[in-house]
Amino acid sequence: MRINSGSPIWIALWLIAFPSLSAAQAIVQFYPNEVSRVDSQFETGVSEPAFENIEKPSTWVAAATPEPQGPEWKADDAEFETSEVNIPDPFEPLNRISFQFNDKLYFWLLKPVAVGYKAVVSQEYRVCFRNFFENLIAPVRVVNCALQGKFKGAGYETVRFFINTTLGFFGFFDQGKDKFNIDKCDEDFGQTLGFWGMKPVFYLEWPVLGSSSLRDTIGFVGDLALDPRTYIFRPIVSVVRPIEIVNDVSLRIGQYEDLKEAAIDPYVAKRDAYHQYRNNKIME
Amino acid sequence: MNRNFLFPMVSAFLLILGTGVPSMAGEPTEQIKQTTDKILSILADPNLKNPARAEERKQSVRRTIDGRFDWEELARRSLAQYWAQRTPDEKEEFIQLYRELLARTYLNKVQDYSGETVRYEGENIESDYATVKVRILTAKNTEISVDYRVMKRRSNWLVYDISIEGVSLVNNYRSQFNSILQKSTYEELVKKLKEKSLTEKP
Repeated sequence: MRINSGSPIWIALWLIAFPSLSAAQAIVQFYPNEVSRVDSQFETGVSEPAFENIEKPSTWVAAATPEPQGPEWKADDAEFETSEVNIPDPFEPLNRISFQFNDKLYFWLLKPVAVGYKAVVSQEYRVCFRNFFENLIAPVRVVNCALQGKFKGAGYETVRFFINTTLGFFGFFDQGKDKFNIDKCDEDFGQTLGFWGMKPVFYLEWPVLGSSSLRDTIGFVGDLALDPRTYIFRPIVSVVRPIEIVNDVSLRIGQYEDLKEAAIDPYVAKRDAYHQYRNNKIME
Repeated sequence: MNRNFLFPMVSAFLLILGTGVPSMAGEPTEQIKQTTDKILSILADPNLKNPARAEERKQSVRRTIDGRFDWEELARRSLAQYWAQRTPDEKEEFIQLYRELLARTYLNKVQDYSGETVRYEGENIESDYATVKVRILTAKNTEISVDYRVMKRRSNWLVYDISIEGVSLVNNYRSQFNSILQKSTYEELVKKLKEKSLTEKP
């Protein structure tokens, strides 16, 4: 979640003041283990479908399946590991405070405002606004695709940007995707750093900004340089930015609630979801 | 900073819903699709739409989902290295609690189905393990990629993990269980699970 991109200095200050305490130490100490991914081949082998026996009795218990006991869990069992193991979290106590703060910020401020906004503005319009803001940061995607050697993606993003800005009426309609079927190449500088081998180093939960890592925070600051909003007259940004955030939240109401509902420890659930999600993005 | 990771890691069961014709329908895909269609037909059944039969409808969906999941495998993978330290009774209790937690959280989601469409994108098969790849298009015009990890038990392919936009359900719970078990005891974890899955929701 980007908040006031009109003030990169503010974020840079946070970055310097907050995590540098023992960053170097943490890098050495918490370097995450790499777990190799198993690349399975793609097969289309079809055997006869077995549609019978699908229903099991409602009181299904494990014991009802007279299968041999599965092998016990081993750390090196590649089948179990689809992502790198846990992200280091040396600042967990501080991060948990931010997490509580963000939780309250969401339930006490963002959500009520977004619910009201949602009641007034129809979903079609809200999706259009989102498209507009996403189109605006196309330079971030183009440059980061190129930095990762994904020149086809960079080209597609450039074309999509021009189509959306013209035919898509300043980006309100994603014509590039809808009419020309040009897929998004969703890259940012955090992913670029990851692509070239940088680890997330450790997890950070920023007040207001939310989930991040040291790598992605550096990436976030880097991307500000490519974000047109950084260069737009400040007062305009300060008016439009909150609208963008509320618009964004209005399209995602319920997701955070769901995560909390399903979690035993919502903080850890969010941290891990973020870590897995970013890993997956980098490997794409 | 990155906004979408929270997205649907919890709408998993909702995602089994939907329509779509498998393009390269292998056995795992066929079976996932079969469960999907079954749930859809339950939700579409006019007789069950009567509020008085809401509970019956829910149970019917739950039975269908139950038959497609390998809960023991889910539990075993989620507890990971701690699984071996448990007695058979503890394992049994854990499986039931974990299943209850997931069922509770997700069954409510099933009711929220709002016309998402599902595209079956293919499957990877490696002897007794397979991944069924699915892509969901939501009403808000976003695409979500979902992988069903399935394993073959006799003639049935049973789900042992669901991964949404790269976020695996089992890995997510494993890190939570790990974090609790590192700081406190197994008894504490069971207590937390019970609080979460057995207390009546308002």
